[in-house]
Amino acid sequence: MDVAIVGGGPAGQAAALQLAAAGIAATVIDEQPRAGGQILRQPPSAVAVRDWLAGRSYRALKAQLAAFEDCNAVTWRGGTSVIGLSMNEDGAGLTLADGSGVERLHARHVLVAAGCHDLAVPMPGWTLPGVQPAGAVQAMLKSQQMLPEGATLFAGTHPLQLIVAAQLVRAGATVAGVHFAQPLRRFATWLSPAAAIARSADLADALAALATLRRARVPVRFGSAISAIEGAMRVERAIVDGVPIACDQVALCYGFVPQSALPRMAGATMRAAGPAGGFATVADDWMASSVPGLWVAGETTGVQGAPAAACEGAIAGIGIAQTMRAFDLREAERRAAPFRAAYVQHRTFAAVLDRIADPRDHFPPIAPDTIVCRCEAVPRAALAGGSANAVKLASRCGMGLCQGRNCEPTLLRLLGAPDGPGFTARFPARPVALGMLAGD
Amino acid sequence: MERADVAIIGGGLIGCAAAWRLAQRGARVVLLEAGEHNAGASGQNAGSLHFQLERRFLEQGEALAEQAARIATLNVLAVADWRAIECELGADLHVSMAGGLMVAETREEVALLEAKAAREAAAGLAVRLIDGDAARALAPYLAKSVIAACHLTDEGHADPRALTPALAAAARAAGAAIREGCRVEAIKTPAPGRFVLRTAAGGVTAAQLLIAAGAWSASVAAMANIHLPMVPVALQMNATERIAPAIPHLIQHVGRRLSLKQAHAGNVLIGGGWPARMAVRSDGGFDLARRPALSETSLAGNLRAAIDVVPMLARLNLIRTWTGTTAITADQLPIVGPVPRLPGLWVAGGGSAFTLGLTFARLIANAMGGERVRELDLFGPARFDHLNSFMGAA
Repeated sequence: MDVAIVGGGPAGQAAALQLAAAGIAATVIDEQPRAGGQILRQPPSAVAVRDWLAGRSYRALKAQLAAFEDCNAVTWRGGTSVIGLSMNEDGAGLTLADGSGVERLHARHVLVAAGCHDLAVPMPGWTLPGVQPAGAVQAMLKSQQMLPEGATLFAGTHPLQLIVAAQLVRAGATVAGVHFAQPLRRFATWLSPAAAIARSADLADALAALATLRRARVPVRFGSAISAIEGAMRVERAIVDGVPIACDQVALCYGFVPQSALPRMAGATMRAAGPAGGFATVADDWMASSVPGLWVAGETTGVQGAPAAACEGAIAGIGIAQTMRAFDLREAERRAAPFRAAYVQHRTFAAVLDRIADPRDHFPPIAPDTIVCRCEAVPRAALAGGSANAVKLASRCGMGLCQGRNCEPTLLRLLGAPDGPGFTARFPARPVALGMLAGD
Repeated sequence: MERADVAIIGGGLIGCAAAWRLAQRGARVVLLEAGEHNAGASGQNAGSLHFQLERRFLEQGEALAEQAARIATLNVLAVADWRAIECELGADLHVSMAGGLMVAETREEVALLEAKAAREAAAGLAVRLIDGDAARALAPYLAKSVIAACHLTDEGHADPRALTPALAAAARAAGAAIREGCRVEAIKTPAPGRFVLRTAAGGVTAAQLLIAAGAWSASVAAMANIHLPMVPVALQMNATERIAPAIPHLIQHVGRRLSLKQAHAGNVLIGGGWPARMAVRSDGGFDLARRPALSETSLAGNLRAAIDVVPMLARLNLIRTWTGTTAITADQLPIVGPVPRLPGLWVAGGGSAFTLGLTFARLIANAMGGERVRELDLFGPARFDHLNSFMGAA
């Protein structure tokens, strides 16, 4: 096989389409059964959803998704996890797992466009049933039209919570409030001419979301920080600015962290991803990582949003095709030019969003008995030692099912070393049954 | 220049345990660790307490098996050391000695078990050879394919995450200085019985020097112009998700590479000597600074052996495969004792050092304190002195 693409979101789709335009077939692997990524999380094919993702900012992405799904040069491998990635002179060795077994795949080039996940934010009570990352609430809404029961309180620093709260209201759910820990003046940069022009659709969606929330009389507060979540068996109230607010669900939204397990496993050079933490894969102008044959695009290279991801994916696809001598460097530059131009604008907006959403001064306090590693139930008080690996060995923090994906940013922050180094990446990226690995 | 009676290089199990024992004897001890304590094989191994003769000793023919069987004398001592250690340290190390079974699935393997049991009996290890049904009566989770097993009641497992930190704490409490992030950059021997160590944080001078640096021991010894026939090997191990207590024993295989046990936290740890691939430097040597690469062949082979012996494992999720580097010696036996070519220089390491490390450390501390320790006669570096004919203080 020539090209494997990990991730069927905007970046992976854009790369596959550019490769197809160069006459190169690609296999696209995704954990979800259908393409779209988190941003265009599709309902199961048996479910019809009216006005699925009707917002303006989704239009271009939906058009790309339709082209991708119609593309004959793409072999789609949905419902499949890439649990291992190793690189050698011949290219990439991928270990795939789906419901039926484990399979080894070899590709001359692999593009990891694996997206991002919500930053987990520990605080007293955050492990109670009913506490979720806002991204998970949105994924349930997008793919299943499932609404949380009762009233949902949103808290954090990332503007996405406005969008998700409005989507809940429009779908008929109750929102108890949207609380931004940072002051309103931090949002002023959004109105700067550069940012507004770069992404007017997003600004329009945000303003529409605000209007929706206002009509529904949902309080939207700024400089309003959550400090704890309480309840006997599940969420009953959130403590915001020291005052209890009754609610049934809490959706936390402090930012997003790149999926970094596979590039780290493959030994790629990483860098600190940004204010929310985590690690981004370092890439050159053509989205090649430091490891020959391994390419990266989208949030894997740093969280910049779906339009920027699509640009990076297209550039990566063109770069791979050029490396495979589908055309010369000059033609590659010609094809990439519009994506490079658009990317600059999206990047400007992403930088503005990063400044607005910067959670670093606004993380809730973590008590000594607050769980930091959910998988292994490790409280803050148990975290002692020098490096992240040493703390992991001494405390079991990061030794559980999620492989430290969720606790790593918090641990590094508590160690006073937010830029790492983090945990050594270990196989497998997702848990997999022993019998499947043994070839049963 | 800091002065000490004993300098120790290496903050693993052996180094920390020796620092503790020597400090208890009243020696001024300085331990220098290049990175963080317990970061190497001491913390990365899977925690087996295996006192039966290892399969690796049995697969190289009769002569080597005969020679390797000498280690059984140390195994007998190690049983007692492990029974006492939690009490001595006042620490919970999750020591479980509920017994171990080394299983056989073929007639040839049963013959190996019989020969092994005879050697062990001669060394004073109370191993019992039982048939498959008796093994399953003890351990109902074993597969029907198991037709015989050697049972040793003292075997089990302990927590590698807990032991070395507890030893380091005990060593500090006894007065030893343990310096982390303190790489030894040079070793000078200006006079017999005087060692001068240079580190970025200053110098240390000591009358005796113990090298207990695991896979790095040979390169540390090179700084003292000594050949040490210890070679690094990379192994890989696997952890399942946590489950309720189901496997109280240490399970090993006499004919296949397999060692498994359920750790205190509930994860089943599966290994048994399956190799990972060490990184190589551009000049051709092995690069110990880089993490060994996982071997898919080893992974599948190890899990196959585990499932064949304990079928219930097939359903469990693998959550982590990790690689680590340990050291073995030219003749597979540990190297513990004084280096004849350089009086005052001591070495301890070379295989099975989780199970045997407490014993190595106790014996070498006694020897460094001036006692005659006959138990170490067979394991000293003297047996490789020919390698150092042209080395040493010249």
